[in-house]
Amino acid sequence: MSTFIQQLITGLSIGSIYALLAVGYALIYSIFDFTNFAFGSMMMCCAYAAFFAISYFQLPLILAVIVVLIFGACLSILTELVAYRPMRNKNASRLFLMIAAMGVDLMLTYLCVNIFSTNVRPLSVPFLSGVIKLGGVSVAKLDLCSATVAVILLALLWTLLQKSKYGVAIRASSVDTKTAGLMGINVNVISLIVFALSGVMGAFAGLFFGLKYAVYPTLGSISNKAFISSVIGGLGSLPGAIVGALLLGVLETMISGFVSSAWRDVFSFTLLIVILIFRPYGLMGKSKSDKI
Amino acid sequence: MYYALSIATVAGINIICVSGLTLLTGFTGMFSMGHAGFMAIGGYSAAVLHMHLHVPFLLAVLLGGVIAALSSLIVGVPTIKNRLTGDCFAIAMLGFGETVRLLSSNIYPVINGAMGLTGIPKKTTFTVVLVFVVVCLFLLRNYTKSQYGKNLVAVQQQEIAAEMMGIDTVKTKLWSLALSAFFTGVGGALFGFYMTCLYPSNFTSTKSTDLTAAVVFGGTNSITGPVIAAALLIIFPEVLRVFALWRLVIYGLMFVIIMLFKPEGLLGYKEFSIRGIVGWFRKLPTRIKNRGKILDHAEDIIGPSGGKKDG
Repeated sequence: MSTFIQQLITGLSIGSIYALLAVGYALIYSIFDFTNFAFGSMMMCCAYAAFFAISYFQLPLILAVIVVLIFGACLSILTELVAYRPMRNKNASRLFLMIAAMGVDLMLTYLCVNIFSTNVRPLSVPFLSGVIKLGGVSVAKLDLCSATVAVILLALLWTLLQKSKYGVAIRASSVDTKTAGLMGINVNVISLIVFALSGVMGAFAGLFFGLKYAVYPTLGSISNKAFISSVIGGLGSLPGAIVGALLLGVLETMISGFVSSAWRDVFSFTLLIVILIFRPYGLMGKSKSDKI
Repeated sequence: MYYALSIATVAGINIICVSGLTLLTGFTGMFSMGHAGFMAIGGYSAAVLHMHLHVPFLLAVLLGGVIAALSSLIVGVPTIKNRLTGDCFAIAMLGFGETVRLLSSNIYPVINGAMGLTGIPKKTTFTVVLVFVVVCLFLLRNYTKSQYGKNLVAVQQQEIAAEMMGIDTVKTKLWSLALSAFFTGVGGALFGFYMTCLYPSNFTSTKSTDLTAAVVFGGTNSITGPVIAAALLIIFPEVLRVFALWRLVIYGLMFVIIMLFKPEGLLGYKEFSIRGIVGWFRKLPTRIKNRGKILDHAEDIIGPSGGKKDG
């Protein structure tokens, strides 16, 4: 029983990091109707930034985290300005946007392979290593910390979206981007804010995945899981993304704990297919045909 | 000589695989990042059929393609039936490719898992590949020129309008996916019989990226474009070793640049042909002569078809 609870807690903590990534996807998807496939490699670059800030330059932790966050937001805004916005201005089809995003992803990933080699670099922070005993269950401090930070971040994001002026503008744009533009909302500014927010989410996820596993160039492929969880929850729906991510995190940890870790990834992709068969618009998504 | 011939053979196999992806991405407009999975399925099933069930070589290759086509329905039916052909399809294909790779490296009976399937008889020669390339391109050309091929382009350009005109979009897309998997599977089968061994690491997402790159560079709605690109993308890394290392970074950069400035690709909507080149050179004097003049004879310069050369 205690193993089960321990797996559950680990699963929830992984799920909470998936949730950060899935929210990053969903924010952009809800407004621009396109998936930022470069998000995974951006997260990986943030993990590298964290490695250099913490292990190489030995910055104090708070400063290092701030550097990583700024790096993530800037990288995200940069791709928006260089690649996506010019294409949207030309009314490019979604296929072309998707290919461009894949291109950014390829470029960032293999740039890191060529510059930093495929070596796995360990990243650790002394005060987050070790476990805490809670009754009969021992929980890694890192898991606890990442889950807490994820919850705080998601709560902050929720407040921002629901209470602030910009939040209203973002929600309006997600309902109908063109009309929002006509109503005097500066969609270009909104797009920068959204990309920056999603970059910050990616930066936190990169930081935690770097601490949890290690830093290596193909770390970005973890973001496929986040995409799967946002499909499970319903594409473009923020609460759906969080629910899907937690569900996927727990199920995956259970599979690798009680069956075999080799089958973990096979399981998550099978789950994607099964969800697409039975609930194609996810647990909380709306059917596409409603929009037409 | 032997070296050049082996490069030509691998380039030919790559052309067959890319021609399948051209049908899906170039004509139907569905993006796939997991076509290496179909190569793996075609390769492994053809090799097993030939080695363990003693199916003749050619039949095994074709059956490999058929099995790949059937397997494509696993992803195709749930996504296409629910009209999730954009991002969802791309990620499902990515997942499919990864799952095939993980399965092939974890199943130990018959296919030997990560240690690879070895001892496949070497049946693929340059001549065999050449015949396959010619037949495959001939079939592809006929298909794209037929009503079915025109349906594909209609679905790519205006899906709702195509549906209004009475095209069964779901069926069209499923056929396109299955045919594309068939061609790629045949390519994979030939690859197995050429390399004499198959490892799961042959079919990583990098391989899928190589296939996609050929289609993106070559151009949409074109067969010759991706074919030329497929051959060049095999030859270039052989000639320039530095290029082999930085290849994927350059591909990524090129993806973005091409999508920004010429999203239909280098030969989009055009076919490479001798007649087209001769025609271009024949019109060159007129074009130079008329430069800067008021275009009162616009037809002489841009041609009756409005600037787009065809065929």
